[in-house]
Amino acid sequence: MDDFQNIGSITELVSALCDRCLSGVSWKRRALGGISREGFHKTLKKRAYGALLSKVFQDGTTKGCTPRPNPTASNTPPRNKVLMICFDLRVAGCREEAERLEDLLDSLPGGASSGLKEVDAVLELLVHLAGTTPPPPTTF
Amino acid sequence: MASAANANLTAVRETMDVLLEISRLLNTGLDMESLSICVRLCEQGINPEALSSVIKELRKASESLKTSENCTG
Repeated sequence: MDDFQNIGSITELVSALCDRCLSGVSWKRRALGGISREGFHKTLKKRAYGALLSKVFQDGTTKGCTPRPNPTASNTPPRNKVLMICFDLRVAGCREEAERLEDLLDSLPGGASSGLKEVDAVLELLVHLAGTTPPPPTTF
Repeated sequence: MASAANANLTAVRETMDVLLEISRLLNTGLDMESLSICVRLCEQGINPEALSSVIKELRKASESLKTSENCTG
């Protein structure tokens, strides 16, 4: 966390996000194939801004459309969306995970006491990314 | 002044720990460093839905790179 406290601008943060995606990739062999780290980093940044800007323009064009009832509906508060996920987990038989998630949500401070300005926006992000990676393997 | 700053830093750390745990339970694939960057981007006013699209796009791109590494390796 502290490493990123000094990064201020959106461009620097997007660049740092691209760097994170490149961690763990071996570049020695790639350099022989003509793909450099810098080149791929540039490509990632292009794609990141493409995705970011496409959403900006979508926001302007979807006005007036019928809202779809889904857990990520924009008018539902993010805490309620997490509670909806808790409900889904219970229905799926994952009672422990649902209870842990509810406890964490209760313990999450809101407003100034959290030390962050946009806790709800971060929760909203987590809801949008929910289930995008497979669950960790269970250990015995 | 310094104690207020320390209290705020402690609050931030605690909030980040809870957010990371929620993130893990939701299987978002974010580690602490990526989550920290995302928090800073949200605080800069980036729309969270747009940011989620950016992350998915970056994952797709880096996955394709890793897949090509496996195919050529």
